Amino acid sequence: MIKRLLIANRGEIAIRVARACRETGIESVAVYSDADADAAHVDAADRSVHIGAAAAIESYLSIPKILQAIDQTQADAVHPGYGFLSENARFAAACEQAGVTFVGPPSRVIAAMGSKINARRMIQDAGIPIVPGETPADQSDSGILAALTRVGFPALVKASAGGGGKGMRTVGADDDAQETIQAARREAAAAFGDGTLYVERLVRHARHVEVQIIADDHDGCLHLFERDCSTQRRHQKVIEESPSPVVSPALRARMTDAAVRAARASGYRNAGTIEFLVDPASGEFFFLEMNTRLQVEHPVTEEVTGLDLVRAQLVVASGGALPWTQDDVSQRGHAIEARIYAEDPGAGFLPQAGAILLYREPRMPGVRIDSGIREGDVVPVHYDPMLAKVIASAATRDQAIERLQTALREYPILGIRTNVAFLLAILEHAQFRAGDVDTAFLDREGASLAECAGVNDEVPPFVREIAESPHATTGAADRHSRPAQPDPWHTLSRWRL
Amino acid sequence: MATVKPVGRGVVRVQTDNDGRWETVYVAGTPEDRWLFWRGRTFRVGGQTRPSTTASRTAAARGPQVLSAPMPATIVKVLARTGMHARKGDTLVVAEAMKMELPIRALADGIVTAVSCREGELVEGGQTLVTLE
Repeated sequence: MIKRLLIANRGEIAIRVARACRETGIESVAVYSDADADAAHVDAADRSVHIGAAAAIESYLSIPKILQAIDQTQADAVHPGYGFLSENARFAAACEQAGVTFVGPPSRVIAAMGSKINARRMIQDAGIPIVPGETPADQSDSGILAALTRVGFPALVKASAGGGGKGMRTVGADDDAQETIQAARREAAAAFGDGTLYVERLVRHARHVEVQIIADDHDGCLHLFERDCSTQRRHQKVIEESPSPVVSPALRARMTDAAVRAARASGYRNAGTIEFLVDPASGEFFFLEMNTRLQVEHPVTEEVTGLDLVRAQLVVASGGALPWTQDDVSQRGHAIEARIYAEDPGAGFLPQAGAILLYREPRMPGVRIDSGIREGDVVPVHYDPMLAKVIASAATRDQAIERLQTALREYPILGIRTNVAFLLAILEHAQFRAGDVDTAFLDREGASLAECAGVNDEVPPFVREIAESPHATTGAADRHSRPAQPDPWHTLSRWRL
Repeated sequence: MATVKPVGRGVVRVQTDNDGRWETVYVAGTPEDRWLFWRGRTFRVGGQTRPSTTASRTAAARGPQVLSAPMPATIVKVLARTGMHARKGDTLVVAEAMKMELPIRALADGIVTAVSCREGELVEGGQTLVTLE
């Protein structure tokens, strides 16, 4: 059994994992960079270790620093979260060698699925259709260009080493491919420490539908149904839901069966996701990639199945058997998640950093918030701009959307700009409401949706009156009017008893 | 005019005189730079306007163009060279912040007169990167 688990991540996912540890009686260890000494995830854990400078490459992406922290705290397990080192086979192998339980698949599976060539060959052998694409052996600009020509335009260039839309670019037949290739390579290198590129044909009007799977060491391998993540902006998922509005029971049966076969073929263990592109017109689906980790959008699956995926990950990683059979698992009602990003839809979605002056989470039935920030925190410039996830569930899709809208309208985050108004504009869009969006929907409609979001609108008169009122009591005002003899419980620096 | 009732730190209920309906508004910041939130919409009053490229676009029709960093960022690539002719929309500098690349593009045709950043440099928001004439 795991006694002490180090969480090699930050933000909301680190907090999510720390909570699962608390529930199961495991001691949690947070790690933090210079920029995160006062971050919420540090306070969510039982212990914390400083691991290095603010730049991720010197802290959250540094295998030696994380291993040192594991050694220093005598942790017997590590949860990598998503992003950072979560799909790094060398890190998983180093943990295996050090006798530390890695909460994820064996390093050889990460390596096999992380190499897109291998993954696709394995998937094809298992009889599952794939999208044409390759990781060219010749990684020079001309080598990538030749590969693009082979798979056919329009095509995608993306990081071979990871997902999340980082380093992913669309190239049309008439585009300046060289500039695009170089930008993708730099972004891939910055995000994953590996600039290797993969090219693939772009399937038009496709939906992104993925199947959650989980497997144990005792031949247990289950699917936990699908998530539809078609609402993406520049390949970054924005809204995810389950069930998919376009997946029929027959298609669901074929896709989930393919996902379990893929997981079994790879010798998978722990939680993973098989991503597919679905052509809703023909009902065809193609394997896209396998994510060998917990996904950002895992709560959507948790809400429709009623299961705790992180808890299950810990059980499986400890060598335990899955506590359910496929027949125990059902998909009930509808769940939908919106990701809140620190970005300004009124200025080309520029990422935002800065102090959170006021922050209040909505509380209402059927709404779950997984967040990584608190009032008074500073959002650093060094990391991903996702601040929180709002997950609404209800009996039907319409009701779940209405709950999500209500929650977003009562979720003030002040001090930096966020995409909340933009999310609301998506949820109001007729095409979204009809369940009729493809993966290019936001890239087509994004600008007009940003306009609908009123990001450049006039301030309503009564709001302006409050802004200009000298009597307005604000979240920040209290700090300025602190008495001369401060109450120690209200000071912001450390003190000793 | 409106009736305002504080209901917590940074939260007020407001009754507009038109129809008597109460609205909840969240308020933060200083009198000079107020942030407000109402029904999913965020407003900033009195503070700096967006440091976006759109703000300077109107001024860029003629005369010198000063391209600055929209936020604290790392410079990953400098494509501009002094004396170079740039066309509107050309990428002159590539910055990276929060794991996303931010291309800094020429707002109009012009000649690069100064390049004020280096590859690998960490720049502040608003810092001048390239000047064109």
